Amino acid sequence: MIGAEDKLTQELDELKVNFSHTIDKLSKDLKRQNKIMARSDTRQRKEYDELQLKLKEVEYLSAEIEETQREVVFTMGAIGERRSKETGNHVKRVAEYTYLFAKYYGLPEKECIMLKQASPMHDIGKVAIPDAILNKPARFTPEEFEIMKEHAQLGYDMLKHSNRSLLKMASIVAYEHHEKWNGKGYPHGTQGEDIHIYGRITAIADVFDALGSARVYKPAWDDEKIFKLFKEERGEHFDPKLIDIFFTHLDEFLVIRNKLKDI
Amino acid sequence: MENLILEGTKYTPDIKLDADAGMVSMVGKSYPENTFEFYQPIMDWMEEYFAKNAKDKTTVNMEIIYFNSSSSKLFFDFFDVLDEAKAKHSIEINWIYDKENESALEAGEDFIEDFENLTINMVEKI
Repeated sequence: MIGAEDKLTQELDELKVNFSHTIDKLSKDLKRQNKIMARSDTRQRKEYDELQLKLKEVEYLSAEIEETQREVVFTMGAIGERRSKETGNHVKRVAEYTYLFAKYYGLPEKECIMLKQASPMHDIGKVAIPDAILNKPARFTPEEFEIMKEHAQLGYDMLKHSNRSLLKMASIVAYEHHEKWNGKGYPHGTQGEDIHIYGRITAIADVFDALGSARVYKPAWDDEKIFKLFKEERGEHFDPKLIDIFFTHLDEFLVIRNKLKDI
Repeated sequence: MENLILEGTKYTPDIKLDADAGMVSMVGKSYPENTFEFYQPIMDWMEEYFAKNAKDKTTVNMEIIYFNSSSSKLFFDFFDVLDEAKAKHSIEINWIYDKENESALEAGEDFIEDFENLTINMVEKI
């Protein structure tokens, strides 16, 4: 009997030791786990902070890039305008008109804003037209007119290499703003909806502003005369849908013209 | 015994386990998708090395720049293996860190605290 009791005590002692080892190991593991968690929380917090900081930087830089693009595009438009001695606010008004047309035509807001920024470059090709022709205070001879017409292709050639979406858009505008709905425009005689909507919109915006402004070779037209022409040119020079938009929202176009009139 | 060499990836460190030279090194980041699965062959290699092939002296160089939580758990397990082998083998561990990298420095200090019997040198990178 005694022997059996001793054996039992011995087994219990062994169990105790094993148990205490296991407990030690578990508690050590638990401590490690807690340490790992605490460390990793700190690390994650730091990484999160760094990420937020970087994101802010990226946002700032993107805004900076977009702003730079806008400025460059606007300045290029202004250069073209200055060289052809257009009146002061012509490109600004065209920009605002194109935005309105784009909006009512149903283009997404982002595209409307982009078109507003790109359309001032429609005449950038004129920087490559000789002064004597560009600023001639009389009608062009047929030869001069042919040279003058080159500004569409010239503008396109200047901008077409860019991969920037805004400059790409500007290249389309420069290229197609003298095309006519009926196919009698230039440089290609493209017709109807084959003319890019950016080209169709800039065409009507540009003509509306040009007719209403005095130029070296002509006085400003009065509104009745402009509206009459627009009605006649519906489906001829201009996209009929855009003419309809123009008359439906005429008050808004006139507000822009008034706000940005030349002094 | 064959050496085990794993080239580093975007998420895993360069690993060189050289039995002939008695050199073990891990350099890089440790964000494996499945940490324990990734390190299993390394753990197996270490066990076999100390069981049959260990040199008189084994040097372990660890330069871990970034690591996830399960990697830190695994490094504890890895040091456990070294700790056990310590009784029979001479082992020196170099924990290499950049002084800008607080997390790496702290991790090294944690190992020193937990493994009093191991020789762990904190080596600041120049």
